[in-house]
Amino acid sequence: MSAYAALSQAGYRAYTRDKTTLFFTFAFPLLFLVVFGLIFHGQNVEESGKPYINYIAPGVLSWGVANAAVFGVGFVLMQWRRDDILRLIRMTPVRLPAVLGSRYVLAIGIGIVQAVLFVCVALLPSFGLSLASSWPLALPVLVLGITAFLAVGVVVGTYAKTPEAVAAVANCLMIPMAFLSGSFFPLDAMPGWMQSLSRVFPLRYLNDGISAALTGSGGSGTIATSCAVLAAFALVFGAIALKTFRWSDKS
Amino acid sequence: MNTTAPSSAAPDGPAVALDSVHKRYGSTQAVDGVSLTVARGEFFGLLGPNGAGKTTLVEIMEGQRQADSGTVSVLGTSPWPRNVALLPRIGVQTQASAFFVRLTAREHLQTVAALYGADREAAERALASVGLTEQGEVRVDDLSGGQRQRLAIASALVHGPELIFLDEPTAALDPQARRDLWQVLRDLKGAGRTIIYTTHHLDEAEVLCDRVAIMVSGRIAALDTPARMIAGGSPTTRLLVPAERLTLEAARAIPGVMAASLEADMVVLETLESGPVLARVDELAGLQGVQTRTASLEDVYLELTGAGAA
Repeated sequence: MSAYAALSQAGYRAYTRDKTTLFFTFAFPLLFLVVFGLIFHGQNVEESGKPYINYIAPGVLSWGVANAAVFGVGFVLMQWRRDDILRLIRMTPVRLPAVLGSRYVLAIGIGIVQAVLFVCVALLPSFGLSLASSWPLALPVLVLGITAFLAVGVVVGTYAKTPEAVAAVANCLMIPMAFLSGSFFPLDAMPGWMQSLSRVFPLRYLNDGISAALTGSGGSGTIATSCAVLAAFALVFGAIALKTFRWSDKS
Repeated sequence: MNTTAPSSAAPDGPAVALDSVHKRYGSTQAVDGVSLTVARGEFFGLLGPNGAGKTTLVEIMEGQRQADSGTVSVLGTSPWPRNVALLPRIGVQTQASAFFVRLTAREHLQTVAALYGADREAAERALASVGLTEQGEVRVDDLSGGQRQRLAIASALVHGPELIFLDEPTAALDPQARRDLWQVLRDLKGAGRTIIYTTHHLDEAEVLCDRVAIMVSGRIAALDTPARMIAGGSPTTRLLVPAERLTLEAARAIPGVMAASLEADMVVLETLESGPVLARVDELAGLQGVQTRTASLEDVYLELTGAGAA
């Protein structure tokens, strides 16, 4: 078995054997969907005339996937460094891309399962999401979004030394970003400055891309723009992650 | 093995060669000019009090830290920066916490084996060599302290490295497990592996090591075979005689006795001429129950590290 396959398998086993994290990774976004879905059930956004669920479902899904990517790799890297597993890996001839690649394939897998589950629930009559024919295009948006947020998580995991620090830093990044990017409230109903500000956050483009693919808002142009911007974010964050990565705190 | 390889990778070159290695952290000189050579196939012990710089020195040899100055050669090549060609040839015992979470002992070793490009059988062999075959299906978090330590040692052996670094490998083991591990280590040495290890068990170092270095304040205070080191140390012999058969006064009156004291139920005599003194003790009290203690590596160690001065 290759080092990459072995690390992926070890990561998969660790992940699926941790029932609590497993449950909340999938239940957390669904909880938000239920809360917002029930609050805004049957209502339309005044400014655009579209049903709330068309904003909330893609928004909460994007946030949930991004959140899981940041937290997942952030916790694992912090814990690997704290428990000296990173030192163990560093003393084997494994190259860094194989190590990060194993986390990447896990994050993509988790994100796709999250998305499928989430969309299936949102399609239930009580939430009332209806899928546009462009829904398969959500996949490239999702993959690029996960890539960008995984890179953010690697940076968090490089600097955070305790689980509390990972949670604090990741929450500090992800919760304000979720509000400012329109994950929880339709940006169309927000003031102009907020709509402009949202453009500096990668989550805004993940929202837009997923929303365009699933509900058809904005069409294929929006999906292409989202993909391009997310790819750019992924490149920049990826470069920072590789540049700042440390095997250990020793020198 | 390729025996025709030239100079730098020559299999008969030293396993480790250090020349005036220094390492400083802030104002602390952790390693202060260490030079030593460890031959291939040698069992080398690194002793010294906590904070003497042993761990830093070992980490420099392992390539985990960069020396500030001096030269470091491991198996004919430099371990720093991360040397991917060298890494499969060395094995490093990890902390007993460094296990992939929520895996079983067997899965952990299989993962480590795969990281080194070794096969599943290698994992099984390593598991057996430290006596953990029966615990193979136990989650790493549920292993006992001694079992975790043995698993950490197995992680260092799984890929059959030429040079093995062990950090206090017997520290958390019970006497039986410790003896079992000695056998594992002797077998490794018998197979031609080089072992460098740190320990606080001086009796163990005396029995296992070809040579030991005693490190004090970042420097090598002594480096020799245990036997020569002991011979060069204190020549005093201590005789222990059951107190009910010999009074302190009678003991002090024996010619050649430098000092006598009462320790628990034994009278302890210190002498440089154990033969004549023993003969006299035989006349006075008989030799039954009399014990003879010559200097051990521990005495030499305590003398060098300053704890014996008290």
